[in-house]
Amino acid sequence: MRVKRLTIGYDILESYKIMNKSNNREEIAIRLSGISKKYEIHHEKPTLVEQFVKGKNETFWALRDINLTIKKGERVGIIGPNGSGKTTLLKIITGITTPTSGQVKTYGKVVSLIDLEAGFHPDLSGIQNIYLNGMLLGLSKRKIDELLPSIIAYADIRQFIDAPLFTYSSGMALRLGFSIAVHSDPDILILDEGFGVGDLSFQKKNKKVMASFFNQNKTVIIATQLLYYVRDNCNRVIILHRGVCKNDGSISMIKKYKHQQFS
Amino acid sequence: MKTRWLHFFELLWGMTEKELRARYKYTIFGFLWLVANPILQMLIIGFIFTFFMKEPVEHYYYYLFIGLLVWNFFSLSLTKATPSIVFERALIKKAAFPRAIIPLSIILSNLIHFLIALVLYVIPVVFLGTLSLTRLPYIIGAIGFLIMFTGGLSLLLCALNVRFRDVNFFVQAILIIWFYATPIMYSLTQMPRTLLWLWRFNPLTSILQLFQYAFLGAPPPGPAMLASNITVIIIATALGILVFRDESKTFDDWV
Repeated sequence: MRVKRLTIGYDILESYKIMNKSNNREEIAIRLSGISKKYEIHHEKPTLVEQFVKGKNETFWALRDINLTIKKGERVGIIGPNGSGKTTLLKIITGITTPTSGQVKTYGKVVSLIDLEAGFHPDLSGIQNIYLNGMLLGLSKRKIDELLPSIIAYADIRQFIDAPLFTYSSGMALRLGFSIAVHSDPDILILDEGFGVGDLSFQKKNKKVMASFFNQNKTVIIATQLLYYVRDNCNRVIILHRGVCKNDGSISMIKKYKHQQFS
Repeated sequence: MKTRWLHFFELLWGMTEKELRARYKYTIFGFLWLVANPILQMLIIGFIFTFFMKEPVEHYYYYLFIGLLVWNFFSLSLTKATPSIVFERALIKKAAFPRAIIPLSIILSNLIHFLIALVLYVIPVVFLGTLSLTRLPYIIGAIGFLIMFTGGLSLLLCALNVRFRDVNFFVQAILIIWFYATPIMYSLTQMPRTLLWLWRFNPLTSILQLFQYAFLGAPPPGPAMLASNITVIIIATALGILVFRDESKTFDDWV
């Protein structure tokens, strides 16, 4: 009898946990607790000998004890001077690198628009590269089959799609990369500085896509120096300074930040 | 969980296809290079070494060819996989996919080449009359050990090479020595018995002997040799997986 009661109690506890979890998933997109990131400074190419002779390397803390909860649908602008840890923070959220200490929890698919052309092979055709790149971003082959026409149409590559990538202009390759990334249907979209891709007409299209991302209640995180972009598109601002989260709040903080910068 | 594994293999296959497609693009002879290379090596080594051998190895050209095929798979995989993480730094910085895909896709593409060449090799061997179906398990076992050892070692070396770029040069240097330390051009029966323990540290010894035994009826590896070689293989593979898993978390910091 006692055993049975115990298991029932356990069941309730479990189901409560599961409920709690699903609740969390609905609301929270990203949770960072106590994130710190230490880099080792290498002045030259690291070699075995150097490692043994010097023993310890110089270190540098890019992020210190960042605690952050981002809810689903929030559009967060991360601002701060160069070297304040913006990119490191984005890399940790994307999972490209691992923090030295602390915990990262992300709910949903994270896609970053860094290095759009990375992963393209110059000798393979546009279509082959779409498959490869899409899979690297976490798409299944079946999903890419489905998306292929739309990816090609959006990138506006037309007859070149069967040609090897080295024949593409740099604008075409960028457009293709961008098209794959936005079609990968991310729940959390990460934008790092300098995402003004392509010519004017393509930028117009991008604006539309971005607007649709913003409207779809997707979580967007932008790291940039363009304060007006943050002001126009975000509803939350995080100010980083030397790896520490200085301020976290509404966009009205941008004014304060500007003030700080100039004083 | 299941979809994650499915995606892992889809991506692995996608990257392997890339390797295969890109390698022989814009070459006239394409796939022919696959066998042309070991044939050329076999001819020159076979021609020269028959002058030095005191006791000739039976079916020497066939013996050489299988050894060279295995060796080419092993050395090519190692030389390409070791710097692979550093070469593909753009991918590392782009997305958070399982990093092991990079070296493993290189090995898989080499393996496909190796297996095709192996099938082509079997055709003339059939006419030699040394082949029998009962030896098939030895071939499968040898291929299994070869994949394990190459894979584990590649994971270890490419992970270390991210921090210590010396590893790449070390591999290039050691492979030249390793070639002579492996019974490719010679047979262990020609070596002095007192020195045989040296080959116990080289797992390729048993792997090659298994191939040579299965295809040509050359003497198989002894139990002590097999046991010690397999031990080294297991240690290298486990170490490779552990080190890679640990290091791959921070590849981005170093490339």
